[in-house]
Amino acid sequence: MAVSTPILGIAVLIYMMAVSYLGWLGYKQTKNTEDFMVAGRKINPLVLALSYGATFISTSAIVGFGGYAGAFGMGVLWLVFMNIFVGIFIAFVVFGSRTRRMGVNLGAVTFPELIGRRFKSRFIQGFSGALITLVMPIYAGSVLIGGARFMETALNIDYNSAVLILAVIVAAYVITGGLIAVIYTDALQGALMFVGMTLLLVLTYAKLGGVMESHQALTNMAHLVPANLAAVGHTGWTSMPLFGSPTWWTLVSTIVLGVGIGVLAQPQLAVRFMTVKNTRSLKRAVLSGGPFIFMMAGVAYIVGALSNVYFLENRGMIALDAAGGNIDLIIPEYINSAMPEYFIIFFLLTLLAAAMSTLSSQFHTMGTAVGHDLYREFIMKGKAGKTVTITKLGIAVTIVASVALAYILPIGIIARATAIFFGLCAAAFLPMYTGALFWKRMNRQGAIASMLVGAFTSLFWLTFVHAKEASALGISKALFGMDTILTGTWTVVDPILIATPVAILTAIIVSLMTQPDPQEHIEHCFRSSATND
Amino acid sequence: MLGIDDPQIWIAYLLCLLSAMGCILYGIIHWNDGKENEEGC
Repeated sequence: MAVSTPILGIAVLIYMMAVSYLGWLGYKQTKNTEDFMVAGRKINPLVLALSYGATFISTSAIVGFGGYAGAFGMGVLWLVFMNIFVGIFIAFVVFGSRTRRMGVNLGAVTFPELIGRRFKSRFIQGFSGALITLVMPIYAGSVLIGGARFMETALNIDYNSAVLILAVIVAAYVITGGLIAVIYTDALQGALMFVGMTLLLVLTYAKLGGVMESHQALTNMAHLVPANLAAVGHTGWTSMPLFGSPTWWTLVSTIVLGVGIGVLAQPQLAVRFMTVKNTRSLKRAVLSGGPFIFMMAGVAYIVGALSNVYFLENRGMIALDAAGGNIDLIIPEYINSAMPEYFIIFFLLTLLAAAMSTLSSQFHTMGTAVGHDLYREFIMKGKAGKTVTITKLGIAVTIVASVALAYILPIGIIARATAIFFGLCAAAFLPMYTGALFWKRMNRQGAIASMLVGAFTSLFWLTFVHAKEASALGISKALFGMDTILTGTWTVVDPILIATPVAILTAIIVSLMTQPDPQEHIEHCFRSSATND
Repeated sequence: MLGIDDPQIWIAYLLCLLSAMGCILYGIIHWNDGKENEEGC
């Protein structure tokens, strides 16, 4: 972007020093396993909310989905509503308080361990850990690429060096300071993101003549929708796509439902509920969590859509054309052309913060999944070394894997990584996690069956039916000579709509057909203290 | 409404704002819920 490199360099340096300081604070405060794994279960509600939000919202949520809004309009605001209502309110109030309490009751320090201990199954813990270890590096690789591309263009450094620099900095504070360092740095990054996005919203509405005026101008542009997009259901930037069209299915099934509901079962987010000391903290965190998500996702999508008005007034074209047809370039192109220089610098820092905050939590979760859940608890049956040592090794291994994937994987897969990860989590973990917390009759057999059926149905649908992933993976093409084995509407229905209901049914049927888990164990899982709630 | 003709969009826009405000209200109302020293076991 066209800003003064020395000024940006100094800003990035100051930011990196602040991050290093917070990482060091995390290191100083990490004294035992609970500190490293679940931040000692004593995190402040505001810090929790900022950290949760900053992890939740990555660079791709701002630039990728913001660009999607630039191309397809404001229908994606339904995702913002889901993010706030499901991703914050339901997550913190309904899932969070029970997760926290059960986590303490069972002494669990990771998401797979919580589920594994609830169902008394090392297999569940090991398989969940393996699934996270296998799929999350692709997601982390895509976030890493986003962050490195930013450093490449903004600071004029080589892309390969940028990947390494970013990975090493984040690795340093995640490995030494554990989850306390992750959460402290996240909170700083979250605060930066909040200021950056607030400025972006205000400057955009001011530039385009006000809230109503800019919306009306966007509404009046409906006739400018390109013919190829109109053919797949695009009806304008302030109206929903044509019901049942491919664009409608992608918006409703993949984006609004897939990402909107999938977030509940994200291991790197669910573990956060175990980092606070009481339910009161979770309720207090809702206060800042809701507005934070609105200012992140809501602003990115509103501004993304409104960039069309700016480009029409200034260049006589729609945003997609101004970005050369590349959706991912709509937000950068808009910021670069329409915003003042001081803001461009701030926004670049916002994007770096968004990438680093997501990355640090991914590294921590992957490290705990491969080191603690898969290796120590499942393979070695809890008899190998100390949890923290093994987890640190695990973090190092998964960071190397993510960096390698960032170099090796084709760009098509990287772009689909977030959707693949969200879909798998929703199918494999959500029914099992929900049952673990809310249905005492759900037993080990039901949980195992649900997790396996959910994971494999989701993988099957991604590989052979859902066109976007199936054609990018190319496995169906290699085996059957065609991109997808079904045709028509099926190829745009997201795996979450197929695999998650199948996994829910499996959980219910298998649990009811088999013996309940011992009553004593269930009471231990669900018990609450005399001073509780 | 809000310069947007399609109710499916302006309802989403308003719901985003209302749900964010709802979170603020919820946080304020439940600020002192529960006990400070609960441990969960």
